[in-house]
Amino acid sequence: MNIDKTNPLLLHPLNPWIEKKKWSWFEHQIETFKAVKKGFDVVVFAPTGAGKTLTGFINPIEDLLTSKKFKGLHTIYISPLKSLANDIVRNLEKPIKDLDLKITFEVRSGDTTAYKKQKQKRRPPNIIITTPESLALLNSYEDAKIFFQNLKFIIIDEIHTFLDNKRADLLSLNIERLQTYSPHLQRIGLSATLKNKQDAKKWLCRKKSKIISFEHSTLPKIKILKSKERIPWSGHMATYAINEIYKEITNSKLSIIFVNTRAQAEYMFKNLWLINKKKKRIAVHHGSLEQNLRLKVETNLSKGLIDCVVATSSLELGLDYGDVEKIIQVGAPKGVNRLLQRVGRSNHNLNTPSKAVLVPTNRFEFIESKAAIEEIKKGNLDKIELKEGSLDVVAQHIFATACSGSFNINDLYLEIIKAYPYNNLLKKDYVQLVKLIQDGGYILKNYDQFRRIQQEKDNKNIYRLVNRRETRKYRMNVGTIIENPMLKIKLGTKTLGNIEEIFIQNLSQGDSFIFAGKVLEFLSMKNNLVQVKKSNSKISKIPSYSGGRMPLSTNLAKSVRKLISSKDNWKEYPSQIKEWLDRQNLISVLPKKDEFLIEQFPRKKNYYTVIYSFAGWHSNQTLGFLLLRGMKELKYKPLGFVANDYAIILWSLDEATEIIKLLNINLIERHLENYLEETSIVKRLFRDNAIISCLIERRLPGMEKTGKQVLFSSDLIYSVLKKNEPNHILLQSSYDDAKKNMIDYDRLIRILTINNKKIILKKLKTISPLAVPIILEINRENLSKKDTDQYILEDLEKEILKEANVQSIN
Amino acid sequence: MSSQLIKFANEEFYAYPNSALYWKKLNIIIVADLHLGKSISFAKQKQFLPPYDTKETLTKLFNCINEYGPSKLIIVGDLLHDMFSVQSFQDRDHENFNKYTKKTEFIWVKGNHDSNVEINGVSKVLDYKVNEIIFNHIPIKTKNFQICGHYHPKVKISHRGKSIYKSSFVNNDKLLILPSFGTLTGGLNIDKEPLKDLLGKNINIFPVGSEKVYKL
Repeated sequence: MNIDKTNPLLLHPLNPWIEKKKWSWFEHQIETFKAVKKGFDVVVFAPTGAGKTLTGFINPIEDLLTSKKFKGLHTIYISPLKSLANDIVRNLEKPIKDLDLKITFEVRSGDTTAYKKQKQKRRPPNIIITTPESLALLNSYEDAKIFFQNLKFIIIDEIHTFLDNKRADLLSLNIERLQTYSPHLQRIGLSATLKNKQDAKKWLCRKKSKIISFEHSTLPKIKILKSKERIPWSGHMATYAINEIYKEITNSKLSIIFVNTRAQAEYMFKNLWLINKKKKRIAVHHGSLEQNLRLKVETNLSKGLIDCVVATSSLELGLDYGDVEKIIQVGAPKGVNRLLQRVGRSNHNLNTPSKAVLVPTNRFEFIESKAAIEEIKKGNLDKIELKEGSLDVVAQHIFATACSGSFNINDLYLEIIKAYPYNNLLKKDYVQLVKLIQDGGYILKNYDQFRRIQQEKDNKNIYRLVNRRETRKYRMNVGTIIENPMLKIKLGTKTLGNIEEIFIQNLSQGDSFIFAGKVLEFLSMKNNLVQVKKSNSKISKIPSYSGGRMPLSTNLAKSVRKLISSKDNWKEYPSQIKEWLDRQNLISVLPKKDEFLIEQFPRKKNYYTVIYSFAGWHSNQTLGFLLLRGMKELKYKPLGFVANDYAIILWSLDEATEIIKLLNINLIERHLENYLEETSIVKRLFRDNAIISCLIERRLPGMEKTGKQVLFSSDLIYSVLKKNEPNHILLQSSYDDAKKNMIDYDRLIRILTINNKKIILKKLKTISPLAVPIILEINRENLSKKDTDQYILEDLEKEILKEANVQSIN
Repeated sequence: MSSQLIKFANEEFYAYPNSALYWKKLNIIIVADLHLGKSISFAKQKQFLPPYDTKETLTKLFNCINEYGPSKLIIVGDLLHDMFSVQSFQDRDHENFNKYTKKTEFIWVKGNHDSNVEINGVSKVLDYKVNEIIFNHIPIKTKNFQICGHYHPKVKISHRGKSIYKSSFVNNDKLLILPSFGTLTGGLNIDKEPLKDLLGKNINIFPVGSEKVYKL
């Protein structure tokens, strides 16, 4: 890079350090410095290895050292992960110590000791590195206003992880609060490259703002594993390629195998150990493992003490793990951004390409992998959709505000709607949320004397907490991440991690299962602890974990359709994939990229309808249910359906002759509510809403509630509320969440408004090649929870009656 | 609603999916653990559960009386959740108590949650006996037959790889325990202490479904 004589950073306090390291300032760093100096809010987009962290601190450090005798808190740095915050401190420490700059900085997170936190409040450092939850907590203290009054900068790291979730809503509200406390506050966002950069800017910045972007990427080298084996029709475990995956590991010094689920991680890990003849040091890492086990793996990884880690998204973000040479992605990439993020873990150097091998576990995944590689080559990323903010988060924020002191109901509203996710928040909804915090916000006024917050007598716009003790409850409930009910697994006295309660419930004493890479025998369950011992059993279950299933991104789906639609694209495909597609073309048809294929064929006395929507798992699941209902109305006697990312398959006793008629927007009006109800989707989301809005507590002090009990009581609340007050704000909020998160509403609408001319209906004599992988996924009944309960009881009774040789009880 | 026959103490009882037990021969309805006003008790701790539990539970109770027109209603304890519960009564609830206690004799066996509050027309007793059967809230050591509440029994049913919990009627040769009648009440697993110990091994379990009561 040419030395720019006009580069203002040559006079920056950090310049001597940059020179000593024989580095030079990046162009985007110079631009950032200039823009922020002129008072702009900025979002900086830069790839890994381009000094992103330092970029954030350039202005704060300069400002701190040039403002005379600045005392107290100057800059807040928000990181998405606690572990990342520690890493940021280490990076910041180097130049500051080296140059002996008079700047103090500390981490504040859930792991910070109470003593340290107290000390920070009395004598704040210049820079605090923290998380959204810890920031919310800081804002809930009575002295928050004084604490933040001179704050100059807030830096949001990895802003792309914050755009589309409730955590982002919480953060956004707290940034506006800081702005109120300190009107001169400037906002700096740091991000990996994004497709919709403007959206990131809209989310973070005020009017006077700039996007600064450093487009320099070395294309990663990604290939698909060339297997001697046949890629299976369906399945998700990649057992067929295990020997070849092992070879890939032994070929490189250090590798990470990314899988899509925790169950896959355990399975892959176990299978690798079975063939580990070369005694490679292999570890496993996922979100359910105990923190210290995870940390141990991370440390060993950065010290180069292991050869390979099998990991889930738990290792996607964050620290620089030294010399990871190769990434092996097993299973569908699901999205371009995600694959790129994972592949980027193999290399942190700007000019050397990352290396990755993709291992599709079935045939559709092969095409998906191909498509992902194509899109990465073209630099075509997925768009991150901004969402309207969730209402429960506002309720929590109102409670937090009350904890920090009295507030004016109108002023708080005006502050909240400045936050981008809440630009469109209605005043009437907001007032309901204030009432929710006050006494639950019910129409039936029973709780007047038990209120949590109360209006002042002489000014009805001012609200304050009735009892300071309530602050403790807020602090226990803060945050937007709600875990499923989990139980701790104990091997002797050692905690291995957490497992879903529902999995343990289905185990009997003596059953064995795999966890943390070990075969364990289930001994007993007491309170929230599952006691296990090591086992040599050859037959063992793998815990399943619900939730977190990512749908195929719209962008990648488009690319998959393009690859399928034209023969020219198949040239270097393995012969089995080519044959598969060729046969499909012969027997049925391969839909063009804007065509919508429906196939129907008889099979084993039933009629099957396959709808190739390529709309991702969430919306396909919903569509399957809605169509099942619609088919019932048309008297086709439907029996069930199965959906995956690519298609939906329904089967019925009678032929669904007029299926196209059902693909209509009316389908939603008639059956969507039913769907949300019967599949317990809203009920589940209501639980999150009730906890986040602090209507019910995560844990009662002194009372160890099991997760199951919390779930149980929120279910009760839900059904009572549904019956008596169906318009309650929390029900509304839960429905909104369902539409946003669980059913991919927009994609659903797109399918149901499709032009009928684009639909190709193929009546076949037998199953088509493309339908085979999907039909193989039919392995479970699709019944509602209510039906399932009934079914289990009926069935059990029948069996018992049969045993007892009695015909009927009634 | 279809009923489930439970033979106990040489008598025939019918269990209903609304968690009431009907003694047809004597025209007596038996219910347990209504916990009226539970939500208001939580509200005191600033946990604002929907305040409709009292209304729902009472509606269920009065509907049940309307349907069977029993001569007697025996509540085996915990009609109220605590001393504030009556605050959750609406005017209509008081009126209904007045109305229904005129036709049906209300016997309220005092439970551990029931405080010294009185309700018009309802006679509160420490225990109660009909023929050979004692009605208690918490079972006592006795050789007599007992019908009780208190424990809110529920049963875990595992079948074909799935588990569900259902509140249940449960009995052995001497003791019959009713599920809770209140809408906002949890349950205690019959496999766990103290129920496990109390009931012994020889028991009949009758899980309550939405349309009928089952027999395991």
